[in-house]
Amino acid sequence: MIGGIGALQFKPAIDGAEAASPGLLQGGVGTQEAESVGSSFADMLDKAATKTVNTLQNAEQMSIQALKGDADTRQVADAVMSAQQALQTTIAIRDKVVSAYLEISRMNI
Amino acid sequence: MDALTAALKVAASGLGAQSERLRVVSENLANAQSTGNTPGADPYRRKTITFQSELDRASGGSLVEVSSIAHDPSDFPIEFQPGNEAADEKGYVKMPNVNVLVEMADMSEANRSYEANLQVIKQARDLISMTIDLMRNQ
Amino acid sequence: MEPVNLFDLATRQSQWLAVRQSAIASNIANANTPGYTANDVEPFEKVLDRTAVTLAATQAGHLGTETANAGFNVKPEEATGSIMPSKNTVVLEDELMKAGEVRRSFELNTAIVKAFHSMMTMVVKS
Repeated sequence: MIGGIGALQFKPAIDGAEAASPGLLQGGVGTQEAESVGSSFADMLDKAATKTVNTLQNAEQMSIQALKGDADTRQVADAVMSAQQALQTTIAIRDKVVSAYLEISRMNI
Repeated sequence: MDALTAALKVAASGLGAQSERLRVVSENLANAQSTGNTPGADPYRRKTITFQSELDRASGGSLVEVSSIAHDPSDFPIEFQPGNEAADEKGYVKMPNVNVLVEMADMSEANRSYEANLQVIKQARDLISMTIDLMRNQ
Repeated sequence: MEPVNLFDLATRQSQWLAVRQSAIASNIANANTPGYTANDVEPFEKVLDRTAVTLAATQAGHLGTETANAGFNVKPEEATGSIMPSKNTVVLEDELMKAGEVRRSFELNTAIVKAFHSMMTMVVKS
């Protein structure tokens, strides 16, 4: 259920990022050629999205176990907090990517 | 009626019952030395309280109520007090069948039960509050 | 049937906890009632193992107490320890311990629901 959140939001953003990638320098990849900067940035986004989905699923699993009565409370709290952090980070990235893409698409060639 | 509100109702009935019990205990303690007025007359007779549980259809909980306040039928102890107005011709007075130690023990038990019921009320109220809190700050 | 959805499971557990709290309240209120036997709900795992058919049979509109107990079985528990002359089986300390457990589980339940709910709204907000 929660995994759906991840999949919905990031696929279009990542495809857009791949298309516009040569111009983007955000992501702090540093001194590399434009093309390899672009592709590694898209990879990075992909990996970040997958990690977030995994963190979310882990948090959901731990919470279900906790509700059934056999999970360590601290572990559950840690899992849920990590999920919240990962989700907020990914949402911030998504918003930035989308607005950068729009800005580029508005640029006069 | 949902279960948490039922818990409140049941705990409130418990508070009422324990208060009645404390009232009876304090009556007994206050009258522990109350002899009769005329020679040979009976003194204060100790009161006892009995509870019974009652299943409340609406809430599904077992309320508690006072089933009876009766008199303790045990014999009156006799003391030698010739000056007392209730003394018979030999100088013996019938004293109330109240044992102060027993009453004090009963009182601390009643207090303990009262505190426990109060705890239940506090907790049920907090749980309801937590549920309502889910909707806040969203 | 076991609800796999997180929110459904949380709702079911909070109903179970509320019924347990009400059983504990009855026990504590009747701690001095002669002849009263202490009650408790069946364990939550047993509730999860039950099939959907059984749950459907206890819908609202049937017996009054069943609606009040949300379909969970509340039955007398076996007496442990010494038997009082008054045949009352309530041990006040055990009831208060159980009440503490209920509170902890309830707090965990509402915290989990709140966290996941806020995560879902976070995603929708732009």
